[in-house]
Amino acid sequence: MNKIGRGDAPIEVLLVEDSPGDVRLTKEAFRSASPSIHLHVATDGVEAMAFLRHEAPHGQAPRPDLILLDLNLPKMDGREVLAHIKKDESLKGIPTVILTTSDAEVDIVKSYQLQANCYLNKPVQLDAFEALVKNINEFWLRDAKLPKRGLVGSA
Amino acid sequence: MQLALGCAILALVVVGAVSYRGIVVSSESDGWVRHTHEVLDQLHDLQFAMQSIESSYRGFVLTGKESYIESYRSSIASATQAETNVGNLTVDNPTQQRQLPGLQELMAEKIKFGESVIGLRQRLGLDAAADVIQGGPGEQIMDQFEQVVREMQDEELRLLAQRAADAKRRLARTKVLLAVGTILGVLIAVAAVWSVRRDSFGRGLTEEALRDSEEKYRTLVQGVQDYAILMLGPTGEILSWNPGAERMTGCTFREAIGLNFSRFFTPDDIEPGGPAEILRMAATSGMHEEQGMRARKDGSRFLVRTTFTAMRDRAQKLRGFSVISRDLSESKESGAKYRGLLEAAPDAMVVVNQSGDIVLLNVRAEKEFGYRRDELLGQQVKTIIPKGFAERLIADGTRSTAEALAQQIGTGIELNGRRKDGSEFPIEIMLSPLESAEGILVTAAIRDISVRKATEKHLGQMEGRYRGLLEAAPDAMVVVNPGGDIVLLNVQAEKQFGYRRDELVGQKVKNIIPEGFAERLVADGLRSDADALAQQIGTGIELNGRRKDGSEFPIEIMLSPLESAEGILVTAAIRDISVRRAADSHLAQMEGRYRGLLEAAPDAMVVVNRRGEIVLLNVQAERQFGYHRDELVGQRMKNIIPEGFAERLISDGLRSPEDALAQKIGTGIELIGRRKDGSEFPIEIMLSPLESAEGVLVTAAIRDITTRKTAETHLIHKVEELNRSNEELGQFAYIASHDLQEPLRMVASYTQLLSRRYKGKLDSEADDFISFAVDGANRMQRLIQDLLAYSRVGTKGTDLLDYSSEDALQQALINLRAPIGDSGALVTHDPLPTVLADEMQLIQLFQNLVGNAIKYQSPGVPVIHVSAAMNVEKKWIFSIRDNGLGIDPQYFEKIFGMFQRLHKREEFAGTGIGLAICKKIVERHGGNISVESQPGHGSTFRFTLEAGERKS
Repeated sequence: MNKIGRGDAPIEVLLVEDSPGDVRLTKEAFRSASPSIHLHVATDGVEAMAFLRHEAPHGQAPRPDLILLDLNLPKMDGREVLAHIKKDESLKGIPTVILTTSDAEVDIVKSYQLQANCYLNKPVQLDAFEALVKNINEFWLRDAKLPKRGLVGSA
Repeated sequence: MQLALGCAILALVVVGAVSYRGIVVSSESDGWVRHTHEVLDQLHDLQFAMQSIESSYRGFVLTGKESYIESYRSSIASATQAETNVGNLTVDNPTQQRQLPGLQELMAEKIKFGESVIGLRQRLGLDAAADVIQGGPGEQIMDQFEQVVREMQDEELRLLAQRAADAKRRLARTKVLLAVGTILGVLIAVAAVWSVRRDSFGRGLTEEALRDSEEKYRTLVQGVQDYAILMLGPTGEILSWNPGAERMTGCTFREAIGLNFSRFFTPDDIEPGGPAEILRMAATSGMHEEQGMRARKDGSRFLVRTTFTAMRDRAQKLRGFSVISRDLSESKESGAKYRGLLEAAPDAMVVVNQSGDIVLLNVRAEKEFGYRRDELLGQQVKTIIPKGFAERLIADGTRSTAEALAQQIGTGIELNGRRKDGSEFPIEIMLSPLESAEGILVTAAIRDISVRKATEKHLGQMEGRYRGLLEAAPDAMVVVNPGGDIVLLNVQAEKQFGYRRDELVGQKVKNIIPEGFAERLVADGLRSDADALAQQIGTGIELNGRRKDGSEFPIEIMLSPLESAEGILVTAAIRDISVRRAADSHLAQMEGRYRGLLEAAPDAMVVVNRRGEIVLLNVQAERQFGYHRDELVGQRMKNIIPEGFAERLISDGLRSPEDALAQKIGTGIELIGRRKDGSEFPIEIMLSPLESAEGVLVTAAIRDITTRKTAETHLIHKVEELNRSNEELGQFAYIASHDLQEPLRMVASYTQLLSRRYKGKLDSEADDFISFAVDGANRMQRLIQDLLAYSRVGTKGTDLLDYSSEDALQQALINLRAPIGDSGALVTHDPLPTVLADEMQLIQLFQNLVGNAIKYQSPGVPVIHVSAAMNVEKKWIFSIRDNGLGIDPQYFEKIFGMFQRLHKREEFAGTGIGLAICKKIVERHGGNISVESQPGHGSTFRFTLEAGERKS
């Protein structure tokens, strides 16, 4: 059981990913890693921002504990989303991890400059991918200390 | 007795009247002489002034000095004045008056001529004016003028002579009358005295009566001027003295009284007792007439005719003598004429006696020397001619005056005259002897030659200067007179022609210049010297000179005129041009040879001068540019090479052609050439300088490089295309593989999930199908990754830098630790060098090769060794030796190809791209890779890399 010191509230993770295949893969990987995680999905940047700002149709959306962000998204791409998140006072405290197939140096540099908390390259092989998700879970959601929901920003 | 007295009185009166008349005539005569002198004086002044005019304007022509013009003008004024005076003076003489218009006309002509010459000189210079003087009417006018003046002078003299003759006649008459009267008077007086004496004795005449008659006699005697009448005592002592005697001897009454009359005799006469003898004879015969020389007080001699009459008293006792002497000196009779001439002479005339005293001088002499006549008469001639006259003239003990004189007669002697104020001036004297009663006198005509001297000096100076220049001249200089004779030459001329100076002076110029000189120069009947000369002045004429030894050589002569006292001479500057001729012919030869080479040249050759004009071109140039030769010669180079040639070559203000040229010599310059039809084509030009008589020229070899240029352009295009293509390919490969990854990932991932989730839940065929799918997907993924890696070698490569290959190997081994650990492989290496390499790729290279060595192991433990050695080309050869399976030689090439495998997939994993990647990496580093192997005996892979700088 993952505890973040908030009682039994489940961990909320927002996955911003446009490829359904990748979404399912990520879901499966997280399920095997940690079944109690609530994985929310936004399939493009606009939806992601709506979710984060509790805009319709995500008016009741919870505040995520971690954001997994792909870079190449339609409508508003991941870099923009990242920029928005990190400029927003109420959102910038949420750890945002870039999860993308691109290993281009320019993307890495840009992401960190935009204050991404971490940049991860999606492995090609399934096993490697599953291992990575496991690592994310262990590192970010178990080992790393995250701020208590409710104290930062507003629900 | 009274009758006698009356007669005596009458005689006296008659004598007195006649004397008076004689005086009048004399003074009249004097007056005429003075008048004549004045006219002659004015004529002389006029003549002098005319000469001055001439010398003034000549002086101006010679020197161009303004002072000469002033002198010229003042001379004109003097001349005019003199002419007027002459007119006035001769107003009563129709003959003279008739001459005046002619005189005036000549004067006017002369002045006009003078004006024109002066004007010429001012406008056109020395030569033109000199020419005009030379051939002008100046001299003729002058001659005519002098002719007229002479006529007028002669006329005056004739008039004078006439009047003198007149006067003489009258004087003679007077004298006769006087003589007659005097004699008569004397006789009467004597008779009277005798009668009185007799009377007085007989009739008891008183002493008083005697004294009375004596008194009368004395008066008579006193009145006579031309005759010396004196009374002597019995022994010759002078008892009475009259003015005539005074005049004759120069002794006054007081001085003479008491002296013995022999005192006035010459030493020659005194000695033998001449005077006493005369007295004795007179006493004896009562009267004695004799003619002889007397000496004046000043020692000068004169001839006299004397009558001595003895005087006796009633007792017949000798009381004394009466002496009547008449001066017979020629200066009295013809002397008057001579004196007249002397006065009238235009030059200063001075007559000097044997002791060097001036006995006579004329008014011109007074003027010239600034003395009055009486200040000079009797003075030594030394006073006015300090040196040279007396010495030359006066007889010394060794020769007589006549001989001394004879030496000097007729020659003009140049001496210095001294004026009263002490100033000296150069004079020329001409001597002529003059016989006189006193011996031989010397008449000296003295002419002031200051002007002449000045001119001579000036001329002498100029000649001196000219001679100096002549000698110093670098060329041979020869001066030739109008007759074609050599009058002057310099030392260079001596050398050039091999003669000594004296062998050539006076010789015809033909001797050294056989043809062409004399003909060109000497006036033929058709034109004057000046014309002939004028044609040749200034132009260099090429002729042949002949040396003393007969050999001829080419010369160039330049002529110029030279005015001299001897007329117009020609100065010829002669230059030996043998060398120049030889040089010219040599140059012509060389040019000929050069032209030949130019024509034969395979490239187009164009020769350009400093101004960018084409001076020469060959047939290739004609062809290349499509012009005809003469269409280009003289044209600007710009016509065929629009830009770049002229600018590079022709000097701008900052540097000379030589510098501009020097920068370009030897380098091929690419420019554009333009043909006659306007089409342009690329050319390459090579420049080289060419020295010629016209200065530095530039030879341009022009090559048409159209084909080369097109080939170059083609090549460049191809290369660009290739690069582009490669880049596109690289990008393509990258994008392709990158984009392929995504779907492939899906396939591979889900098939694996399927396999995992449903293995055993579907039938076994489904399991097989799924596993094949999974397998395929995996392979595909690996292939694409390898492809990506391969393409990245070219596109993602960094610059080659110095890098330690040992470090690269270490890293590769770290990357391979799993396979090394698993297989237990032993990897060793020698010290490895620094190489020029891409870091990542070098690691990749080692990793692939060592990885292969481990993978393709033979049973047992893989042993791998890495070493490096330097080859002859200073490159490093790396060797990776293993003890693996080895490779069949027929596959040595194949294994480096893409996706080439020698083994089945079941045996060895791998896509077969590893060695292809190695090859690509090595080739990117400028090296090559190869393998040496035998099946079952391991393999050695070798590759080369550039050496890097040693890293400390």
